[in-house]
Amino acid sequence: MSRATQNALVRDDRTAYETVTGTAVGLSGAAFAVGLTALLDVVAIDYSVAGLELSVAFGAVLLALGVSVVGFGMASRLGYVDAAPQPSAGIVAAVAFTGIWFAVGAVVSGAAGLGTGGRLGVGTVLGGIAFATTALPREDVGSTAPAGALAGLCGLSLVSGVVGPGWEQVLVGYNATLFGDTVVPVLVLFASLVTGWSAAKAYGGFGARGRNVGAYVLIYLVVCSILAVLVGLVAFVTVKGLPGLFNGFGVGGAGLVRWPFLTNGAGLLADIAGVFPALVGTVWLVIGAVLFAVPTGVGAAVFLSEYAEQGRFTGAVEVATNGLWSTPSIVFGLFGAAFLIPRFGNQKSLIAGMLTLGFMLLPLVLITSREAILAVPDEYRDASAALGVSKWQTIRSVVLPAAIPGITTGVILGVGRIAGETAPILLTMGGGVLPGKSAAPDVLGSFQLSASPPFVSNPALLEATSALPYQLYALITAGLSGNIQNPQEYAWGLALTLLLVVLAFYAVGIATRYYFRKKLHQ
Amino acid sequence: MSLTTPRTDWRAGIERRLTRTREFVDDTDPEALAVVLASMGSLVAAFFGFLLASAWTAVPLGAFLIATGYGWVRHQALVARAVSFAMTTVTLVTLGLIVVFIFVESIPAFRYETTSVFGVSVPGLGMFAQTRWDAVSEPVRYSLLPMIHGTVMVTAIATLVAAPIGVAAALFIAEIASLRVRELVKPGIEVLAGIPSIVYGFIGFTVINPWASGAFALNGGSTYLFVGMVVGLMALPTVVSVAEDALTSVPDVMKNGSLALGATDWQSMISITLPAAFSGVSAAVLLGVGRAIGETMAATVMLAGIPRISDPLVNVFYGYETLTSLIARGYGSANGVHESALFVAGVVLFVTVLCLSIASQYIEARMRRRLGGAE
Repeated sequence: MSRATQNALVRDDRTAYETVTGTAVGLSGAAFAVGLTALLDVVAIDYSVAGLELSVAFGAVLLALGVSVVGFGMASRLGYVDAAPQPSAGIVAAVAFTGIWFAVGAVVSGAAGLGTGGRLGVGTVLGGIAFATTALPREDVGSTAPAGALAGLCGLSLVSGVVGPGWEQVLVGYNATLFGDTVVPVLVLFASLVTGWSAAKAYGGFGARGRNVGAYVLIYLVVCSILAVLVGLVAFVTVKGLPGLFNGFGVGGAGLVRWPFLTNGAGLLADIAGVFPALVGTVWLVIGAVLFAVPTGVGAAVFLSEYAEQGRFTGAVEVATNGLWSTPSIVFGLFGAAFLIPRFGNQKSLIAGMLTLGFMLLPLVLITSREAILAVPDEYRDASAALGVSKWQTIRSVVLPAAIPGITTGVILGVGRIAGETAPILLTMGGGVLPGKSAAPDVLGSFQLSASPPFVSNPALLEATSALPYQLYALITAGLSGNIQNPQEYAWGLALTLLLVVLAFYAVGIATRYYFRKKLHQ
Repeated sequence: MSLTTPRTDWRAGIERRLTRTREFVDDTDPEALAVVLASMGSLVAAFFGFLLASAWTAVPLGAFLIATGYGWVRHQALVARAVSFAMTTVTLVTLGLIVVFIFVESIPAFRYETTSVFGVSVPGLGMFAQTRWDAVSEPVRYSLLPMIHGTVMVTAIATLVAAPIGVAAALFIAEIASLRVRELVKPGIEVLAGIPSIVYGFIGFTVINPWASGAFALNGGSTYLFVGMVVGLMALPTVVSVAEDALTSVPDVMKNGSLALGATDWQSMISITLPAAFSGVSAAVLLGVGRAIGETMAATVMLAGIPRISDPLVNVFYGYETLTSLIARGYGSANGVHESALFVAGVVLFVTVLCLSIASQYIEARMRRRLGGAE
């Protein structure tokens, strides 16, 4: 991709203005980060920083940021610095600031005791002023003045202690109260976001380049927060779950490894309660769903991309597949309960769960397999056909082997997705809250032959069985209590086990994709 | 779907098809034909046997396996074609079965909630014309409005979270990130999609709900606000991956032209890439909305489970019930008309999400046609 913004020809070296604006961006980022920790209760807002309460310090920073942001705009407007602003800040910024200032007006006048009419009036006036200040002047003023004023207002209210520790506001009729502990960090987060964007624009010298920088700052922030949430979630579950997962873990003894959490049931006899039955249940569930969905999905993908002519039939199948893909999991559960359960002994059973998840997996497999098969270049098929090889032989020895990497990846990722599904098996498979070790299904050992129809039967498949996600749900609905020591720790261990099982599928799937892609590019 | 097929007389069409079938039958080895017919016939028989819950289903199923196995050895090409065709119909059959079964199960509730308007009795209208849901005490009524309200609240908040963040992240992956960063961020977002919803729900139940209860002095910790945010996080990966597909499908020629004129990256994105991919991006948002509507476990675990409409309507600090959580919580203990009413909730969900899915497919198809140029 081209990098039109890093254009050394027309930009001078770093100027003092860029240094100052860059510092302001950094300071906004720091305020944002600290505000986040305050929101998460890591630091209290009355924590003392250099003799000041944290909320007052926040206020001072926001005030400084607000003043300097306005200053950046003025410096550019008065021609002290070299910038390339456009005639107006643009309609998007104008609408955004109008909305923000309308809300500010409504909230502040509401807190001052005005009625609905007064609130609307003040909000409209402030919104109108903000619109005029953003849209009418040149871009350097339009995109800094409303932002700086906003940060300044937030800063003032924090410094003066109007909003601070101990502040509270009852939301009449809303069954809720706002406290300083949450409102202060939220104000800080919001105001620092606005000043950060505005300062970034100033850093880029406004104009096209300034907008580029401003937008990139916001986008980078979004992406970083997504990754932070992801890492935070996984780390949180890991930290909470490790004590439960490794309860009684040891190396040596009868087996090579003693891992009671994974090899014990949760009955009265087990000294350390474990999740063995649910783990086995999940394994069988996945095997059953894969046995049903993978051959069906791959076969359908072969037919659709190799045999069928594009027409009504393929169109209908495509619509149906995408429709099934987006059908809510609970609807699959209802379907399984209405269709499968009456046909398998009228009770929740392992096989009903397997088939329900199989129905869910089918569209995932079909879509990814079809993509993989379509990605095989036509030259392969033509070359094979030119050698006089029949169509089916071509599919079997040329198309499918070339498509296997894509199909494998799709299947593994799909399996990872269904292994964590709770809603469908809640309605079709059931199982106990804390099953003992004997409740683990023994599918292979339970096949029976009989002289009367249906001739082959397997009681293990027809029994209600627990699985990891279902057991977690059952524990939560039981109020995280039960006939075991420390149910909390047990539940977190269970959550971590489930997360690890699912993430393992994803890791393997993603690694397979990289492996094959690397091989392809060699 | 091709709409360009010339309109032909249906009789000629049937005639042609018959001729083709006859030629095909004449050309094929009669034994192979017999095997395929036996295999497909027994498969259909097995399907109907299963549908009728017959204990004899195993017999045609066994016959199918034997015929197919024999055919696989002797006439592989033809059997493979027939079997793969049968597999293709499975998706259609599944969708059909879902429709039939959840509609059939919901009929009693529709009957029970019949209300007459201007002397015409409309089945099921009572579920949408009053707001009382009470399956236990008299008068027993099954209104879905409280749950629809809850679903709308959660979905709206989730969309406010997922749509802007998702599109921004998609822009980052498709346009901004270098190859190395993309290889890090993309799997990260996939993994986010993989975290099971019950784990989100568990964190919500044990961490977010108690925190919200204290931080806002709530009556209990359930709020649509935080359920919506969690659900938005769960819908995010769908939005990102579909929107990213749409953005990358915009031909590079268009962007390069803009960049060559001296536009910045951001200008090219805003005025070229996003408008060109607009339909794809809106399809992504629609699919994300569908995911949010259908999200079950986080809502079930985090919400209070009281079928009531919050007052005032937009009060995000209450968290009562959504359509999905109503089913998950109530199924099993419900029976009779109550159970049937849960199926009606399923029908509402299914129809809504299916419409969203079809709409997004239509939008995507239109975009592909436009970007494809003259085709």
